[in-house]
Amino acid sequence: MVSRNKNIVRAILIASYLVIIALIVSGISALFGYLNTGADRSAMLHTEIKKTEQYTPKIVWTPLTNEGRPIDKNNLNALEHDYLDAWYVKHVAYKTNTTAGIKDYYTDSARLNLYDMIALNTDENITIESTTLEHHPTLEFFSEDGQLAVLTDNDVVEYKRVFQDVNMILETTEISTYKIVMLLEDGFWRIRHLVKTATEDYNVEHKTISTTNLNIQGINYYPQATPWDMFGDSFSKDTIAKDFKIIKDAGLNTVRVFVQYEDFGKANINNTKLDKLKQTLDAAETAQLDVIVTLFDFYGNYDVLDWTLNMRHAETIVSSLKNHNALVGWDIKNEPNLDFESRGKTTVMAWLNTMINLVKSIDDQHPVTIGWSNTQSATLLKDKLDFISFHYYEELDDLDAAIKTLQTEIPNKALVMGEFGESSYDGFWNPFGSSDDDQADYHKKAQAIIATNNLQYVSWTLYDFSKIPKEVVGRLPWRKNAQKQFGFIDKNGAKKASFKYISQ
Amino acid sequence: MRLKHIYILLLGLIVLSSYTTIQDNEITLDIKLLTTQTEFEAGSTIVLKFSTSEGIRPKLYCSSSYGSTVVTPSNEGTTLSYSIPKNISKKTGQVHWKLLNDATSLSGQFKIVPIQEVVSMETYIGPPSIEAGGTDYTMLVVIPTDSLDNALPDNTTVDAKHQFLLNETSDAILTKNSIAYKNIYSEEKSGRMLISSESKNTNSKEFTITVFPAIPTNFKISALRPHNYADGNQVTTFETSIIKDKQNNVVSDGTYVSFYITNEKSNSLKTSGTTINGVATAKMIHPDYETQWSIKAYVDGMAESDVITLDYNKVIEDFEMSFSKNNRVITVGPLQSFMKQMIPDGLLVKLLVYKDDVLLETLHKTSIDGFVNFNLNPNSIKNDIYKIVITTAGLEKTVNALQLW
Repeated sequence: MVSRNKNIVRAILIASYLVIIALIVSGISALFGYLNTGADRSAMLHTEIKKTEQYTPKIVWTPLTNEGRPIDKNNLNALEHDYLDAWYVKHVAYKTNTTAGIKDYYTDSARLNLYDMIALNTDENITIESTTLEHHPTLEFFSEDGQLAVLTDNDVVEYKRVFQDVNMILETTEISTYKIVMLLEDGFWRIRHLVKTATEDYNVEHKTISTTNLNIQGINYYPQATPWDMFGDSFSKDTIAKDFKIIKDAGLNTVRVFVQYEDFGKANINNTKLDKLKQTLDAAETAQLDVIVTLFDFYGNYDVLDWTLNMRHAETIVSSLKNHNALVGWDIKNEPNLDFESRGKTTVMAWLNTMINLVKSIDDQHPVTIGWSNTQSATLLKDKLDFISFHYYEELDDLDAAIKTLQTEIPNKALVMGEFGESSYDGFWNPFGSSDDDQADYHKKAQAIIATNNLQYVSWTLYDFSKIPKEVVGRLPWRKNAQKQFGFIDKNGAKKASFKYISQ
Repeated sequence: MRLKHIYILLLGLIVLSSYTTIQDNEITLDIKLLTTQTEFEAGSTIVLKFSTSEGIRPKLYCSSSYGSTVVTPSNEGTTLSYSIPKNISKKTGQVHWKLLNDATSLSGQFKIVPIQEVVSMETYIGPPSIEAGGTDYTMLVVIPTDSLDNALPDNTTVDAKHQFLLNETSDAILTKNSIAYKNIYSEEKSGRMLISSESKNTNSKEFTITVFPAIPTNFKISALRPHNYADGNQVTTFETSIIKDKQNNVVSDGTYVSFYITNEKSNSLKTSGTTINGVATAKMIHPDYETQWSIKAYVDGMAESDVITLDYNKVIEDFEMSFSKNNRVITVGPLQSFMKQMIPDGLLVKLLVYKDDVLLETLHKTSIDGFVNFNLNPNSIKNDIYKIVITTAGLEKTVNALQLW
């Protein structure tokens, strides 16, 4: 008995000894391993180029006929790059009343003028948020030794918001002409002289596009497997074509799709994604469906200095799709009025205004709208938009009245209910939610109201989804789960009761 | 009855007209710009005055070349005065202003023009060196500026002056887009060109442009040597003629000239020198055997010389050799030069040891006091009969059977 106990003690001792040794060895090896890791050799010289695009206003050079030496493409690019950077640092300086970056892009004597202005505005507590939207430079002169250049920048469209004591006191867009003398110093093209030779207020008026032929009876579309990630790696034209056939067969004529700003590459559009978007439109054309393309989805910055990037984004997409037969209209932004609180109404409205102008300047054939999240906001920008769309997730009983009000306020434009629907979720998180039958009833009633008011509509949505990204409704499970079951077709591909009322 | 109608009509008109005037008053505030001047000289005090009947004091936004700001008025009775900040009034350009008032949208512009004086001549010139010959040029760019660092308006006259040798030239040029520029061409001669400019009695400082000679043209070479013997000791000096460009300018000092020497065996030697006052010199030690050199010089890629040939004569007609210490010590000499003098130390003598026509060993030695001693080491060359060959100064002597013991 004694020897048995002794053996057990021995075994425990030996085992514990082994464990301790193993722990020490692994500890030392981990430490050794850690000390042996370090910077990657290739990163030693910091040779990687960290260049991000921050400022990309539209710049159109007049054909080169400058005096002095003919300029080559490299020099012209360097000049353009530094010239735009000079504008950018100026915008930042006046926005923050700091001088960072100015000395890189303005010569010793020129920068004093900016410093003076910053000092003055600091004293008066004035800040200016500004950006330029367009430049039309002409190279007037390039010196023989390549160190001096003279430009005339015609019709520079400048947007400004002036704040004093935190209150916005002026919002203005001006169009000006500048004469600029630039010097090449320390490898930077720096502004030496800057003279504004002409300036006036700028009001661009684009004609509204007639929408009398518009007859939207549609549905918001995401593929069932990849909601909010329609143009990712699992993009399949076949799936989309099949879905479009279901939609067409259900008696609808339009789909509304979403282009996510960051997903599509911000200012530098990802061509693969753009191509997938084109394929989607091709599929719609084959299925004889029209497409409303919603731009800037998941974008929420609206900062004035971000505008030029937004504009390049929209410009690429709009110009490459504007001739597509399936395109029926542009939705500038989904529910921007929800950002009024966090970003400021003026900021968001100015951004929308600019983007409407931009889209209209590129595409003068297709109507433009904004998918307001409720009927109260739908009157905003009503004169600029070609048709009005609003989303409706409130009580159906109030819908009729809301439409009537809108019709009196906006008598001359087509009204489209861009999103509406009801979730059939009545599970754990919301046991008293609607059932499939309730949902069917909802759509039946909604279609009746639509019919009496002669309203155009785009319902939410074709499918029930199994996963919802947190960016859509947040992380709360009762919201997520509700969002999963707005579809007319359930997870298993079976048509729900509501499918009967998908169209009129 | 009729009077009554007319009365009512008149009354109606009066009521109606008074109503419309009241309406007018309500819509527009009575603010008017009093200042009529729309062009100001830079640096002057600019005050925009407005008449107002109301007690309101709207702010004034103004935007100039370099930036924008907001001005708060001061009022004396019914006049609102906005004094434009100095940093806006001192820079030229169009200034846009706007009254910040909800009821009125009064806006306007004025222009700030440069002071009609030139305080500094901002001058840029380049390239700093050009080539003679009249095709190459340098560019003078002048920006006349006033005391507040504003460029003067277009069509301001600038005198571009330059001096070169005996010529002093002055050309009137006009500014355009703030700058005036002129291409200044080189002349036939090389040298230094001095450039300056003047506008409205203000002169720039002096700038110097170096006019370098153009590329060299072909040239001649000559050689100088103490004697024409191939003694392997004296040095031959090669010299170019004065190298000039096509305008007869002596090429820049330091122009690199390479001399290529080819001997009768088609072996090449190379030496080089750089020019001083157009002449480059280079040296090469004499060969130690009779041969003929042909020499040609190049300024690489630009110019070349003619070919000269030099003959080097034999210095040693013949030499003696003697054997001692079991024939293991071979003494070569006396080696006598062209005047029977002992050849200067350092002449190379070569000894080759053959056995059955197989080369066993080569020994090199240089002469001292006209003699060379070879020691055939018994460790490497055993006692036997060998063939030995001795060569020096292009001569060769053979001993066919040399017994070593």
